[in-house]
Amino acid sequence: MLEINELRKRFAGGPDAPGGKVALDGISFTVRPGEMYGFVGANGAGKTTTMRIVMGVLQADSGTVSWQGGPLGYDARQRFGYMPEERGLYQKMRVAEQIEYFGRLHGLSPQAARKATDDLLEQLGLTQRRGDAVQALSLGNQQRVQLAVALVHDPEVLILDEPFSGLDPIAVDALASALQERCRSGVPVIFSSHQLELVERLCDAVGIVSGGRMVATGTVAELRAAEGNALRVVVRDAAPGWADGLPGTVTVQGDRHILRTTGGDDQEILRRAVKAGHVEHFGVEQPTLTEIFKEAVA
Amino acid sequence: MNGLMLIARREITTQVRTRAFVIGLLITAALVAAVSFLPKIMGGGDSYTIGVVNSQQLPLHTAAPDIEFEWRTFADEAAAKQAVLAGDLDAALVNGSKVLTDGEIDTELGVLLQSVNREVRLGAAGVSIPPLEMVSVGADTRYEAARTGIATVLVLVLFMLLMGQIVMVAMGVVEEKGSRIVEILLSSVRPWQLLGGKILGLGVLGLINLVTILVVGLAAASFSGLAADFPPGIATLVIAVLLWFVLGYAFFATLSAAFASLVSRQEEVNSVLTPLTMMIMATYFVSFYVTNDPTGTLATVLSYVPPFSSMVMPVRMAATEVPLWQVGASMAAMVVAVLVVLKLGSTVYERAVLRTGARLKFGEVLRAR
Ligand SMILES: Nc1ncnc2c1ncn2[C@@H]1O[C@H](COP(=O)(O)OP(=O)(O)OP(=O)(O)O)[C@@H](O)[C@H]1O
Ligand SMILES: [Mg+2]
Repeated sequence: MLEINELRKRFAGGPDAPGGKVALDGISFTVRPGEMYGFVGANGAGKTTTMRIVMGVLQADSGTVSWQGGPLGYDARQRFGYMPEERGLYQKMRVAEQIEYFGRLHGLSPQAARKATDDLLEQLGLTQRRGDAVQALSLGNQQRVQLAVALVHDPEVLILDEPFSGLDPIAVDALASALQERCRSGVPVIFSSHQLELVERLCDAVGIVSGGRMVATGTVAELRAAEGNALRVVVRDAAPGWADGLPGTVTVQGDRHILRTTGGDDQEILRRAVKAGHVEHFGVEQPTLTEIFKEAVA
Repeated sequence: MNGLMLIARREITTQVRTRAFVIGLLITAALVAAVSFLPKIMGGGDSYTIGVVNSQQLPLHTAAPDIEFEWRTFADEAAAKQAVLAGDLDAALVNGSKVLTDGEIDTELGVLLQSVNREVRLGAAGVSIPPLEMVSVGADTRYEAARTGIATVLVLVLFMLLMGQIVMVAMGVVEEKGSRIVEILLSSVRPWQLLGGKILGLGVLGLINLVTILVVGLAAASFSGLAADFPPGIATLVIAVLLWFVLGYAFFATLSAAFASLVSRQEEVNSVLTPLTMMIMATYFVSFYVTNDPTGTLATVLSYVPPFSSMVMPVRMAATEVPLWQVGASMAAMVVAVLVVLKLGSTVYERAVLRTGARLKFGEVLRAR
């Protein structure tokens, strides 16, 4: 179990922010073995900072990270797999050689490193490019190499900062199944992403950060329950202002008005909608992660 | 330790495989070989071709063992005269009493012919003159020219190698910092392993270069006959040069890595290294000056002061005789300096290498925390 407890981090401010910039303001969450944890939040919310602190490439001002009950130290971290936000590879080094090298650095024997490299190249569809220099690869393929580097030593924990950005749908699926496979064998996986549908589809648990604070965390089901189901009504050709006085929000898409609300008298709403125009849809729906997210960071 | 070795090995294999490294090595070898042959080609060596007509060959070679003499016999004076005019002969000795030349005779050859001829005649008459005994009461100056030559070449080689390797260290550090490879590297190895591995790997490459230069140089010198002029103790000098290179390199490379860790872009490498390159340049100029005045006060003093000593001392050793205790004392001082720099440099590197973005200041990083 990986426990992140009350992390705080302030960056020294430049001329525009003399007081410094608070990046993390007491982030706490827990990832259980075999759990896929989605880390979401607006740009600048503090996801990358948190992950860097977990990986020890940045020092927190206060707070702790513990792994399997004890403080997370250098030796345990060596068995973590990490994909940083800013991708870093030796551009002139060949693909297979590079993956193997990082495997060796993580303590694999030459044979084990070679074997793991071959398996990963196969799994990520890079076998044909194994002899190419990294700089000759497209961005998406470089990203796959970066992933292979994070996975080569069969890590005990995976910390991946936006691993899906820039991948085509096929690669997204390949990566998703690679991650799910690790999860099934008990590895906790934390990844950050702005693709919320993907997070919703893949993750057992989600943490939503905003302004350096964890504003909501739990399983997707828990978050949904907390948010509550919503009534969604779609009315065509309605006059503007038809829903004045009703709870919820109205969005307009062409000639369609969409009302979303978590409260109010549904029968009263239906009556008003019928009077206003042509009702295309009327139903109770579970909130999507996107809706939960927008609500949470609002 | 394993991590350090893996990192060093990567540095070596990536460099050795590049065309630039191989071509560089070949060019260096060719240049060194050319330099070793140059004095022979330029000097042309002293050798004379002398014709004899109806006379004995004179024992000129015994009197002047450094000079080569080739003798040719001619049937009569006319034939010899023709050969002299054609430039085939430097001189022709006729009937043991006359020397034919084309214009004024070469002074050295003239004096030799006169004195040896006199000696032979006197010897035949039963008079034997013991040769003058030559005693130098000053320093041994026999090898002065060779020593100065070796020292000059040495300064240049050490300077170029040091500069080259140090820039490589800096570029490697910035490559890893700027591309954020450090983030992954430092989640699997410790900063000192990363730093040490890089310095070690590039140092081995520098040594490969230096050994190539020394081997090719010495081989070419003995092949061209230049080695005959070398002073004794050349083996000691070679070992000392290698040791001093290692020390100087350790000193400057550590500083180079520390300075380079302050910036995140390759374009900034040059400017951040300026203080260091100035220091190396100063060391180079001082050492160059020392080749001309290896026994002066400046040379003696600076051969103890790190980091100047890393270049001045080997130059002094090449240019003149230096007592062993002086070399030892100077080396000890340099080792201490290297240790201090390792401590400072690795601290700065460790703190700065993950702080991407704007350029940091050496002193601030060192003082922080
Ligand atoms: N090295 C730094 N120096 C100063 N401020 C920083 C530094 N790194 C991050 N910050 C600030 O800390 C805050 C959190 O940044 P962080 O990179 O963790 O956000 P993020 O959630 O990963 O955002 P994104 O989705 O854009 O990747 C931001 O306001 C950022 O400006
Ligand atoms: Mg980020």
